[in-house]
Amino acid sequence: MLLTAPPERFFEENMAAFAALLRAEGLVLGTAELLDALQALHHVDITDRAAFKTALRATLVKNQRDLEIFDQSFERYFIPQAAQAQQLREVTRQREQQANKLKEAADELSFKGEPLPLSTEEMLLYTSLPDEQRRNLRRFVQETEAAEKERRPLRPLLETVVKGQLRYWHSRKEQVAKGDGPGGAGGSSMAAGDTDKRLRESDIRKLRQADLPAAKALIDRLSRQLVRKLVYRRQRGASRGALDFRRTVRANMRFGGEPFLLKYKRKRRSKLPLLFIGDLSASMKRYSSFVLQFIYGLQAAVSNLEIFSFADTLEYLTPALKDQAGLEQILERVVLQGESWGGGTNIGVALKELSESYGELLTPRTIVIIASDTRTVQLDRALPALQRLKERVRQVIWLNPLPSEQWPRYRSVQAFAELVEMWPCNTIAQLEEAVAGRLFATTVFLDQEAGKR
Amino acid sequence: MQVDLAHLRQGFADVGYICDQSTVLTVYLALKLEKPLLIEGAPGVGKTEMGKALAKVLKTELIRLQCYEGLDETRALYEWNYQRQLLRIQIDRHRQEKQLEEEDLFSLSYLLERPLLKAIRSPEKKVLLIDEVDKCDPEFEAFLFEVLSDFQISIPELGTLHAENIPVVVLTSNNERELSDGLKRRCLYLYFNFPDVARESQIIRSRVPEVGEHFADEIARVIAHIRSQEELRKKPSIAETLDWARALVALGKKRIDGALVNDTLNLLLKNRQDQLLFHRQIGKKGIEELLQQPANLGEDCKCY
Repeated sequence: MLLTAPPERFFEENMAAFAALLRAEGLVLGTAELLDALQALHHVDITDRAAFKTALRATLVKNQRDLEIFDQSFERYFIPQAAQAQQLREVTRQREQQANKLKEAADELSFKGEPLPLSTEEMLLYTSLPDEQRRNLRRFVQETEAAEKERRPLRPLLETVVKGQLRYWHSRKEQVAKGDGPGGAGGSSMAAGDTDKRLRESDIRKLRQADLPAAKALIDRLSRQLVRKLVYRRQRGASRGALDFRRTVRANMRFGGEPFLLKYKRKRRSKLPLLFIGDLSASMKRYSSFVLQFIYGLQAAVSNLEIFSFADTLEYLTPALKDQAGLEQILERVVLQGESWGGGTNIGVALKELSESYGELLTPRTIVIIASDTRTVQLDRALPALQRLKERVRQVIWLNPLPSEQWPRYRSVQAFAELVEMWPCNTIAQLEEAVAGRLFATTVFLDQEAGKR
Repeated sequence: MQVDLAHLRQGFADVGYICDQSTVLTVYLALKLEKPLLIEGAPGVGKTEMGKALAKVLKTELIRLQCYEGLDETRALYEWNYQRQLLRIQIDRHRQEKQLEEEDLFSLSYLLERPLLKAIRSPEKKVLLIDEVDKCDPEFEAFLFEVLSDFQISIPELGTLHAENIPVVVLTSNNERELSDGLKRRCLYLYFNFPDVARESQIIRSRVPEVGEHFADEIARVIAHIRSQEELRKKPSIAETLDWARALVALGKKRIDGALVNDTLNLLLKNRQDQLLFHRQIGKKGIEELLQQPANLGEDCKCY
């Protein structure tokens, strides 16, 4: 196509073809960008390869992830003349090599002077086999030839066997290729965006050990993003609002009542008291620590964050968190001490102790978040305890790490879900949706209500 | 504005902004094509600094618009000076000779110019730096797109104001959210990575000349090593590197050792988690080991 273009349009055609190549690689670029690129090339020395590349990159690429695609495409498309000749030589050499190989295979696998009817692919596969396999196959053909001399028509059988053998080696090769191919090394070559997406959507409890640091970093980033949003929302809310006539009149008394200074109503925005109870029994340890990390990151956006853990007994973690450096250290310490970790889960006892010993933390505005898969001993004691807790606070939300399709299987899930709101939350994406989309939607609701009062 | 590539390159060097050829060329193209330049990259790689440096190189005023969520037209474009209008009405109430017309109140003298309008109405070409554009709301971004397309602004009471000189626009983004395709289409694009050791050492020497060459290299190597920790919440920025270099000079140091890094870590890592991560992953010993290795200053900077 390029060679048939009229000489005076050759350059533009070439550029359009390059743009089409980039589009095929997934870049979003339109005619406007292409025109910019052509215009930019007027201002650079296009015989300077680096300058030429920079001009195209600045005009055709619009985000970081596309830079690498651009670089690769550029190197493939704009090949320097010397390299082009080299490439041509290489292609010719490969072709010659292939022809030789085919001839070799035809000679070696011939039956009574006539080559076997093998496809090009099969013949190439034959030449790529290890020497020993090739020898075996050749010997088989020769022996069959000898047997044929005894007047038995063996050619059809021979063809089937040789083809079958080659098929076998073909499938072996593919398996080997798969074994050390993308499955093993895929993780490291994957772009950061893809890793994030995979981490967001995989079951938290099934994350590989190697993924944990990246998953923690992702959680950390998400919670900081959310805090920023909430804080901004609050700042913005503070400056907007209806005109406050009473304050405006009062403020302008000194100007003889002329309204020089306008006063606006401030919306009352109250932070949300949150109380988090994470199930830290063996099966829930990783899950709860993830949720905990996310919620802990929201400290700046909530007025009171109280954190408890439970397995067989309840543990109040807030004071330790206030005194010491960070969440990670606390969790490590608690794991080491093994006070309540890894024991049999008893939700009933934990909730009862919460109501009895920490009753002052349970106010009518508090939102309680429980992270647990609902597995507990003494389910019958746990239900009334949860009911009592629900009556004392504004809302109880249960984050359940079990996928929702499994819920009907468990009696405990159904029993708890009847009492309180239960959200499926087994991936980071769902956790984000639960907290950012649903929990803080509740906060806005609270704020508006406060404004009305 | 007459600019050529060689002068631009020299200009950046003169104002102490160290960057590679391809960056200078991209800026040059943005100036030539009169298109906004969008710079993305991690915080602290010198995006905002580019806007400031460019203003110095072009010897013109820098007009800065800092974006934040909730930024609206009254903060970015213009606002009527309500108090002044009211005063005028008050004054005119007792005058008999001439009746006050509505047009008198909505004239340019009652207009409070905000950065965008100021850049567009300026009689000279200015550098307009729209900083952290990813922080503003999508609605404002759409509005910005409109302004940057036509370089004209419609004010209902006054009509349309056209740019006398199309300003040099530099937009920066920390990549916190994806910008709209429309806005990106208008811009030339530049991506900044953290500089490599050789370039950072050059930056240190240019900004803090008191450090010698060897000391600057050591500082740059330590910084690059700390930045290589992917789990850091915030990697030390170039500004923090420079602060650190100045602090080390003020302390009269000539060489770096593990204990010194430990003692001055607060200048580089500004939250507790990152500091603990440093102690866990690198620590005093890691720094000592790093400095014992032969210096490998790396290839040319890989800025885009």
